[in-house]
Amino acid sequence: MSSNLNGRLLEATCQTISEHADELTRLDQAIGDGDHGINMKRGFDALAAAAEELQQLDLPSALQKAGMLLVMNVGGASGPLYGSLLMAMGKAAVDTPSCVDDVVSMLRAGVDAVKARGKSDVGAKTMLDVLVPVLEAIEKNPASPCAAARQAADMGLEATRAMQATKGRASFLGERSIGHLDPGARSSALLVHAICNVLEDS
Amino acid sequence: MTDNVSIVIVSHSPKVAEGVADMVRQMVGDEVRIAFCGGNPDGGLGTNVGAIMAAIEEVYTPKGVAILVDLGGAETNSEMAREMLPAEMAANIVICNAPLVEGAIMASTEASCGADLETVRSTAEEFQA
Amino acid sequence: MSETVTGQVVINDPDGLHARPAVKLTKLAKSFCSDIAIKAGDDGEWINAKSLSAVMKLKARHGAILHVRATGEDARGGVDALIDLIKQNMG
Repeated sequence: MSSNLNGRLLEATCQTISEHADELTRLDQAIGDGDHGINMKRGFDALAAAAEELQQLDLPSALQKAGMLLVMNVGGASGPLYGSLLMAMGKAAVDTPSCVDDVVSMLRAGVDAVKARGKSDVGAKTMLDVLVPVLEAIEKNPASPCAAARQAADMGLEATRAMQATKGRASFLGERSIGHLDPGARSSALLVHAICNVLEDS
Repeated sequence: MTDNVSIVIVSHSPKVAEGVADMVRQMVGDEVRIAFCGGNPDGGLGTNVGAIMAAIEEVYTPKGVAILVDLGGAETNSEMAREMLPAEMAANIVICNAPLVEGAIMASTEASCGADLETVRSTAEEFQA
Repeated sequence: MSETVTGQVVINDPDGLHARPAVKLTKLAKSFCSDIAIKAGDDGEWINAKSLSAVMKLKARHGAILHVRATGEDARGGVDALIDLIKQNMG
């Protein structure tokens, strides 16, 4: 196991994407083009392959480098979306976030970048339906940010089931997209859980 | 060659991208430089920011580059590719909101006659109406 | 000096004025500085021959009479060139 926090976060996020790649693909087959799992795995495999280099970098540089790797390797719309999230977080990050406010401002920059990149917002059955509630939950619960983030991620994810997609491939299905979890929201929730687990252990 | 706006075709499928470029060359001619790319970094269906950047650079001219895309991810990845290029290049790159095949023919026809980038884009998008 | 010249030609291509010849016709029209309009049949509406979108939507069929009208310095050359192109069966 890696000793530093960046390394452990990287390891945990890569592992959860790898373990759930098939599930993400199944979700995407229902309402998208069925490549979310394999695309995300390709992106996070590239991060794992660059682990040694990423661990040497400070947090802002590591996030920006990781974002760039996702952009160049994912091969679907989720590449620029997750890539923009990480690159914007990296630009807004301080070297060693010391309080919840640091995390909130970093995450807010990332979420804003996803909204801009996807020309979307909450309610469109996307990863934003997890990320935005998670951001708000952390902001409102500085005493127990991880527990709040996990719960918000789960509720946000579940809420996508009843939504009709208005963005991406799923939007072609119109009402038929209702009743399925959004694969991007699922991958975001997985990442939130993995990150919270590491942060609570540290 | 006179300096005309260049065209970049971005599809999820390398075969579709190549086929559209072939149609443009046959229907419009070779006064317009055209580059194409398709497929994800593994060669499967998808799009690839690095390949899109390379395609843009292959035919880049300060006169402008008009990109035609097929589905959602192709547009998002093309926007990303444009932003990752130097700002002075990005300013001369547009992504057309038009159907891929029809838009490529319309844009190329307009470009082959020396039109500026904004005219090329609006001609491609005209087909929507 | 600006003049208006008109002409007409029968479309011989069995497929009519389909997409590929529409591109050729539009490109040719754009090479003249005159305003050039075409219409299909006597009752058709004049459309801008330099707009590919309009030319494609014209859907002029085999056997239809294509009218060409140009206004400007090179109007005569424009009308003749377009009629020649149609006569050559769109090449």
